[in-house]
Amino acid sequence: MASPGSLRRSQRRFAFSVMTPIMIYLMIFSLLPMIWAVILGFFDYSPARVGGTIFGLGESNPFVGIRNYLDMFNDSQPATVFRKSVSNTFLFTFLILPLNLAITLPLAIIIERSHARVKGFFRAVYFLPTVTSAVAVALIWGAIYNPQAGLLNSMIRTIGMTPPKAWLSDPQAFVMGIPLAMIALIVAHLWQDFGYNLVIFIAALQGIPQNLRDAAMVDGANEQQMFWYVTLPLLQPTLLFVCVMTILSSLQMFILAQVMTAGGPREQTTTMLMSIYSNAFRYQNMGWAAAMSMVLFGIIMLFTILQFRFLRSDWEY
Amino acid sequence: MRSYSPVRWLVLIMALVLASCSAAAPAAPVAEQVTIRMWSHQNSAFNKVNQELIDQFMKENPNIIVKYETFPYDQFIRTLQTSMPAGTEADVIEMFGSWVCNYATGGRLQETPAEVMSYTKAQEIFYKAPLDGYYCDGKLYGMPNEYNLEYSGALVNPELYKAAGIAFPPEYKDYNSLIADAKKMTAFSGETMTTAGFHYVGGDALGFIMLGGILEQGGNYFADDGKHFNFESKEALNVISTLTRYAREDKVIDPTLFSGDNGLPGAFFKNQVGIAYIGPWAAGVGLVDYPDVKFEYVALPPMFGSEYKFAADAGWGKVVSTNTKHSKEAWMLQNYLTINRANALKFNQISGTVPALKELVDNPAEILAVAPYMQPILKLLPHGQYLGNVTDRDQLFYEIIAKNLTDALNGTMTPEQAAAKMNAEANAMVDSKASK
Repeated sequence: MASPGSLRRSQRRFAFSVMTPIMIYLMIFSLLPMIWAVILGFFDYSPARVGGTIFGLGESNPFVGIRNYLDMFNDSQPATVFRKSVSNTFLFTFLILPLNLAITLPLAIIIERSHARVKGFFRAVYFLPTVTSAVAVALIWGAIYNPQAGLLNSMIRTIGMTPPKAWLSDPQAFVMGIPLAMIALIVAHLWQDFGYNLVIFIAALQGIPQNLRDAAMVDGANEQQMFWYVTLPLLQPTLLFVCVMTILSSLQMFILAQVMTAGGPREQTTTMLMSIYSNAFRYQNMGWAAAMSMVLFGIIMLFTILQFRFLRSDWEY
Repeated sequence: MRSYSPVRWLVLIMALVLASCSAAAPAAPVAEQVTIRMWSHQNSAFNKVNQELIDQFMKENPNIIVKYETFPYDQFIRTLQTSMPAGTEADVIEMFGSWVCNYATGGRLQETPAEVMSYTKAQEIFYKAPLDGYYCDGKLYGMPNEYNLEYSGALVNPELYKAAGIAFPPEYKDYNSLIADAKKMTAFSGETMTTAGFHYVGGDALGFIMLGGILEQGGNYFADDGKHFNFESKEALNVISTLTRYAREDKVIDPTLFSGDNGLPGAFFKNQVGIAYIGPWAAGVGLVDYPDVKFEYVALPPMFGSEYKFAADAGWGKVVSTNTKHSKEAWMLQNYLTINRANALKFNQISGTVPALKELVDNPAEILAVAPYMQPILKLLPHGQYLGNVTDRDQLFYEIIAKNLTDALNGTMTPEQAAAKMNAEANAMVDSKASK
């Protein structure tokens, strides 16, 4: 007799038949490229060279061991740019996460409490930038930031203030030590991205049972106490999901920076993905780019594990 | 029911096979149809002329079918890189000269067969600067269609000249007069520069001014070993200091504002630039994409000294892949597109590119009839030399020269610091590639 929870033979066959195609797909398009990237990280591989007989590895694409990883610490220009891109990516991520949460959570609470018709309208309006093409968003914000004819500078001048010389290209413009171009990029990214988290928070808030709130009210909790002691703890799984997704997307920042600043000025907005892309496809240093992508993979994995460790909750409602 | 024995079955099958074989045999010998592919990046003018020439080729060679496939520029590079290891790239590829040796020495391209063209013969008919991009380790790989020129030519804006009360078109004998005019055309709104008198801040422009400037002064950007660089010479420092002076003292360009969207040639066609240092290809782009903008293309004097001397970047041409299964037909097409005078002329006329074939420049009436803006710079062509093996052209130009020069122009580094950093980074690039 099958143990409780185990599947019957027909169920197993069904599960196997529906999962096999997707597993094959994942193996071919996800797992194999990942394994290939791990291997490439140990070679000085360029697709421009024929190399050895096994997948072009060896001979003119020689095995270099951990040389690509060690090179990340030397003084060469690509290594310097890569290290700069790592610090830029961290800066971007750690500014985006709290700012995103600080905007989306209160806004979600306000929208969730509003009338049903208004709720739908605002949810749609705020979600619109999320479904807009990132390239289009980058072009829109590029025009807004234009130093000579941009909307932002016109508005600043209208109120009698002096705008910065250039939002996206001045290498000497900093605000509290953060490059102005990075701040401009963060604002554009927040505008595009916050609708996603907002919709998730609204859905999570709607899922909190009303009887828990009623009980808190009966116990005399005010609005603030209700938020801190009822709403926020119950949102913990959603908060974990939102944090993980926001960090993942921020660590993989590419399109906005590529289109708006191309990594400039002076690599102040070069992200890890931009560095990997340009080394792989512009300079044909696939081995070096693969090693860098392994570092990015490690960082993303570490963050995800840490967040699951510290933000997970052991209960559901 | 009647049954057949195995022997009968065998006889029947053999009879059918023999019958089908005899039916398939042609009544008369017919030339074998061969299908080859050609790839290029997407550029409406290039694609138009390539397609026309391919159609013509197929008419003249009815047994060869050519499939012409194009890709957006970035995708083209990625596709080359992924298809070559897989052996699925096209038989003939339109490739930029400065990429050729990278692919050729990696074993991805076929050496030009001696019966198609020898290097000695090619030197007679092509300019050396574009040809040498296709000549790697003593072997010729394909041939150029274009002489890529980014040196000593400029787009000039008649409206801004007129508004500043300067005679048009200008004929500059030296850079003092050019900068004087540029200063008159430069305009500000408060402290924000709205019009740049002289725009030379671009990845290609800065690179070619840097290398050409060193050569004009009799220097060399290569170190004695011919592989490493010397960007700390007095000639190199002079180039950086001069360009910095134009930006910081003469204030004819603000590199912070005139970059990105306001880079070259975009800012010029927005009427925000008086003189834009750029290759003649930009004039071709202007005629097609900005028909309402009035401009002229003029030759500029040497920036240093009185003699033109410059480094050139080969240009677009056609190469043949080592993976082709139809070498003969691929080289026929390659030959047809690059060496045939009428076809090479047609390519340059329609694509607006400078001819790589000497003959077309020696008798320039036909090319000038279509691209009159090339007139001022045709006289410069014999003064060019190929860039040489600069290890990684894009990294050197965009990541090393342009970035460090821009830092000097912005004032975030002194010219000496920029030269030292440029020198260190360029040589580290050489060492890094050599050591792996």
